[in-house]
Amino acid sequence: MATIKGCELPDDLYYLIKKHVWAKEIEGGDVRVGMTAPAIKLAGGKFIAVTPKRKAIGQNLVQGKSMATVESSKFVGPVPAPVSGVLTKVNDAVAENPDLAVSDPYGEGWIAEITPSDWEGEKGELAHGTEGLEAYRVQLESDGVDCSS
Amino acid sequence: MDEERVLIVMTSGTDTPRRCATPFFMATLAAAMDYEVDMFFTIDGAQLLVKGAADKVFPKEGGRAAGGYLQDALDAGVRFKACTASMELHGLKKEDLIDGVEMVGGASMWEMADAAKIVVSF
Repeated sequence: MATIKGCELPDDLYYLIKKHVWAKEIEGGDVRVGMTAPAIKLAGGKFIAVTPKRKAIGQNLVQGKSMATVESSKFVGPVPAPVSGVLTKVNDAVAENPDLAVSDPYGEGWIAEITPSDWEGEKGELAHGTEGLEAYRVQLESDGVDCSS
Repeated sequence: MDEERVLIVMTSGTDTPRRCATPFFMATLAAAMDYEVDMFFTIDGAQLLVKGAADKVFPKEGGRAAGGYLQDALDAGVRFKACTASMELHGLKKEDLIDGVEMVGGASMWEMADAAKIVVSF
C-alpha cells in the first residue's frame, strides 16, 4: 500500500486516474471496481448515499460512463466505470451502508464487478505499479488534492 | 438506444429558499445516472435564472447557496429552459439571465414532457 498526498493507494490495482476509480482482476476473469481514496476526499469525505446501477446488471458499460452515483452534502455525481464490459454484480452492502466506501474503499466498499470486454487492451491504458502511482501523484498535486488535510 | 430523457419543472423561486436546492440536486443526480435532463423554469422558477439571484438564496441558513447547486446541474449537462410567459410575469429579459439558458414557450413544455420518460415538478 502506497500513501501519496495522504491518500492510501494499493500498488496492485489498476487506476483510471482522471476518474478516481480502480479495477482489480478477480477469479474467473472478472474485474472488481471501486472508488479511490482521492475520490472520497473530493466528494467531501462522507457519503449520504452510494447507489450502484443495479438496473444495468447484464448490460454493457463503456469505460468512463456511470456505473453508480454518489451523494454527499457537498457533491453529487457519477462513479465512472474504469473498464468496459458487462456489469455482472453490484455491492449491495455499500448501497445499504455508504460508510463502507469511505472506511474500506478497496475492500468491503467495492462498487461493482464487470466482465471486461477488452481487459488486455484496456488495462494497458490504466495506471498501474510504480509508474502508475507516480502518475497519480502528479495528478493529485496538479489538482491540489491531499487526503490528510 | 437513445438516452432516456427526464423533465424537471421548477416553479419555486427566490421567495422559497428551502425549495431551491433539491430540484438542482436531483437534476445533477439524474445526469449522473446518464439520463438526458431538461429543467423548465416557470412561474417563480424563472427568478433563479437571473444573473446572481441564486447566489443570494440559501436553502439552509449558513449553508451553500442555491447558485452552487444550480452550477452543479449546468456542469453535469442539464439543459435549462426558461418559460417566456414567466419571464414576462417577472419583467425579465434574456439579457438578465445567466448564460446557457434557452427561452422557450409553454408549448415546449408539453413537447419536452411528451419526450420524457419521467416528469417531476417542484
